[in-house]
Amino acid sequence: MSDFTKKKTERTLMIKKDPVLFSVLVAVWLSFAIFIFLPLVKLLLVTFFVDGKLSFANLSNILGRPYNVRALYGSLILATAVSFAGTFLGYMFALAVTRTSLPKPLKWLLSAVTILPLISPPFTSSISLTLALGPNGMLLKAFGIENLNIYGFLGTWISETLTYFPVAFMVITAILSTMTANLDDAALSLGASTRRMFRTITIPLSYPGIGNSFLLLFGASLADFATPLILGGHTFPVLPTEAYLLITGMFDIKGGSTLSFLLLVPALVVFLIQRALIGKKSYVSVTGKNGARSDFARLPKELSVIITIVCTFVVALILYLYFIILWGSLVKVWSVNNSFTLDHYRYVFAHGKKAITDTLTIALYSTVLGSLLAVVIGYVSQRKKFFGQRFFEFSSMLNYALPGTVVGIAYIIAFNERPILLTGTMSILVAAYVFRYYATGIRSVIASLQQIDPALEEASLSLGAGSVRTFTHVTIPLIIPAVLAGMRYIFIHCMTAISATIFLVSVRWTLLTTRILESMTELQFSQASAFSIVLIIIVFAADALMLFLLRLSTSKFNRPQETSYAIVSA
Amino acid sequence: MKKLRIAGLMLLCLLVVSQLFAAGAQEAVATEEVPKGPISVYSIMPEKYATKIFAAFTADTGIKVNFVRLSSGEALARLIAEKNNPQVDALWGGPADTYEAGIKEGIFEVYVPKQADKVPANFRSKDGYWTGIGIIPLTFLSNAKFLKEKGLNPPTSWNDLLNPAYKGTLQMADARTSGTATERIYSLVKIFGEDGAFAYQKQLHQNIQLYTKGGAGGAMPIATGQAASGVFYIVDALDIQQQGYDLVISYPVEGVTYGVEASGIIKGTKNLAAAKVLMDWASSSRLGEVMVAEMINYIPTRPDVKVTNPALDMSKVKLIEADTAWKGEKRAAYVQRFIDDVIQQ
Repeated sequence: MSDFTKKKTERTLMIKKDPVLFSVLVAVWLSFAIFIFLPLVKLLLVTFFVDGKLSFANLSNILGRPYNVRALYGSLILATAVSFAGTFLGYMFALAVTRTSLPKPLKWLLSAVTILPLISPPFTSSISLTLALGPNGMLLKAFGIENLNIYGFLGTWISETLTYFPVAFMVITAILSTMTANLDDAALSLGASTRRMFRTITIPLSYPGIGNSFLLLFGASLADFATPLILGGHTFPVLPTEAYLLITGMFDIKGGSTLSFLLLVPALVVFLIQRALIGKKSYVSVTGKNGARSDFARLPKELSVIITIVCTFVVALILYLYFIILWGSLVKVWSVNNSFTLDHYRYVFAHGKKAITDTLTIALYSTVLGSLLAVVIGYVSQRKKFFGQRFFEFSSMLNYALPGTVVGIAYIIAFNERPILLTGTMSILVAAYVFRYYATGIRSVIASLQQIDPALEEASLSLGAGSVRTFTHVTIPLIIPAVLAGMRYIFIHCMTAISATIFLVSVRWTLLTTRILESMTELQFSQASAFSIVLIIIVFAADALMLFLLRLSTSKFNRPQETSYAIVSA
Repeated sequence: MKKLRIAGLMLLCLLVVSQLFAAGAQEAVATEEVPKGPISVYSIMPEKYATKIFAAFTADTGIKVNFVRLSSGEALARLIAEKNNPQVDALWGGPADTYEAGIKEGIFEVYVPKQADKVPANFRSKDGYWTGIGIIPLTFLSNAKFLKEKGLNPPTSWNDLLNPAYKGTLQMADARTSGTATERIYSLVKIFGEDGAFAYQKQLHQNIQLYTKGGAGGAMPIATGQAASGVFYIVDALDIQQQGYDLVISYPVEGVTYGVEASGIIKGTKNLAAAKVLMDWASSSRLGEVMVAEMINYIPTRPDVKVTNPALDMSKVKLIEADTAWKGEKRAAYVQRFIDDVIQQ
């Protein structure tokens, strides 16, 4: 039978052969139709239909303005710069944790500090950055630097790099720790210097991690609107921010969505590059027949010195920035009356209780539903063959690639009328979060499946277990660490997201992040800081709990490479 | 056994999904059937003020107000997107020209409150779409320490801000996002004429450190010494000064225009009767009295309310009249010119 006809018969037989896969696919496609395509199509209609006729006048109008073209370049330049710097920092930190002889508590401190920027709302670190490095900033004064203009490319770049390099750190750590040390041993015993070994073995073997993190950071920076909003100033426009300004400042929803759809182009390119680079190679390392492992070889000396300097500097900067926030939350009036007070925390618990419980409720719902969907989608698109698979995978990521504000607007337009009336409810927030942030869960599940040899599942099947039993008894236990890791990031995103929710919070459902932004615009710096600290503590606690479960699940199945399941994809 | 498990799993999924939809439906039905209050409001007025004002309203009328605070642009974008099925009954606070823009989109209900005739005609909509609840003139806000170090007097003319001593130290709002910024442009146009206003801003651009997104965004940096001076609505300037920062508030001799904070009913509201009660209350002298008592720094629209804060005494300030309909008409063109002439130079 030719390959083509074989495929075709497989397809027609799917209902009979694998009814479970068929019904799962139908259910997932249905959810895509409602929560991804419907809002997108409605927004497209609003954008490109003028008086019932298809019109691209908006597009040419928008592209005709030089400022918007500058914004497009700005977005691309910023995303590239952030990916380079973030990946570099991530690699340094990953080497520090996996390849140096630092004492364990110190390594723990490194990991704990790097997660701080990830779990705090983006604008809080931006604000403390302006207090430190802005005009008359405290750090600038301390070092006697004058005339450093932080507003524009420089500030946005520093802030986004600090915010997103933890993602690079986690991706690369996972890759570095799953590498086999036998190659190191072989190189050294054949007489290579540690420098040569690092250049010819460690670096090439970490390409998948470097590539993955580069692309993830590129996407994250491309869609970020909060950081440039605070730090970009007028000299450095970027697309998501300009889209937001058009919608809220000029009341031009059409123009704003047109700008956002432009972002889909680089997003699609990024996705295709990712597929081309990562999709085809084999990274199988869990085969059920692992041998004994030895320790990794030491790094060359100069590199250790560089790593120490870079990590110390970055950790000090992060701690300093968050110390400003902590301090701000504990003094009466910022920089005028520095006497200690707990008033702001009293305010937070008196007036912010509803926001705290609402945020937690929504985050928990979204995390559970999001990770369920992520497991199903990740498994199906990695392990099963079916018609439209690539389109399926790309569709699942669409809401993630668009700027949040646009997803928010699209959701109101789509879900404000019967039969699907969701505006003002919790469901609309949960749906927005699930279909936006489950992306991290999906990537995590896919990455984990790429490391697991399908032979394990084939063994189960050939021993007579059905596809469902194999999934629940072999696959699930093997990928539970990845699922938990995915859950961790869905939860973190749900607790700290701001962009989409600005348009979705309602009189019945408010969120912590919008309260923080609100306090900022109301000039209540201390209250905003107190809100931020409370949020950080909650996320830290929840994160610790999930890490604990992660440890538990990895030890239960006695996995040889526990750290590999910290793989994260944002 | 296997089938049972699949069925169970699917049932679970179904349950979760139906729960979500059911929750949505129930919440929607609940608001439809309650005849009088609670009402839902988008408040452009800052949360800390709106909380106090609505508490007084509830005490007076027994109608509870649920609200969420949004910036004027976010509020309008949402009201337009939700037009076919409004989620709130009224819009509270925010500049009147936002309301004028909303009228064109057909989102407001006509209602002339009972005591509207006691509110001067230029503080309410000609056609009854909105009613003014407070007046806020523009003002200069400067860092006292900066002025002392540079040996400067507080600015008392628009031209004072062009002084090179201020180079790279001014923060004020961006016209694309902020009503405070468009108000600044209206003032300048009334004083220098249209071309003069933009020539002035081009020159002023040399001294600008940052155009902030929100109207009050520059106030905190000026308070902490990051920036030296800027142009704000009086309500934001007084608010930060009252927190204890060493700041100087001054007015230009050429004069300033003022913003009218408005309120209006959303077309298609399910609580029309209760929303009307809010508008009646807002146009009574009660609202002004509450503002004065709670130190909320708007000048009440009712001339019969006595203002006690000397900073809100406008007898020595030159106030320039600017028609709200004119503002609404010119806004888009001025913002575009601000982008083309000032920001991109």
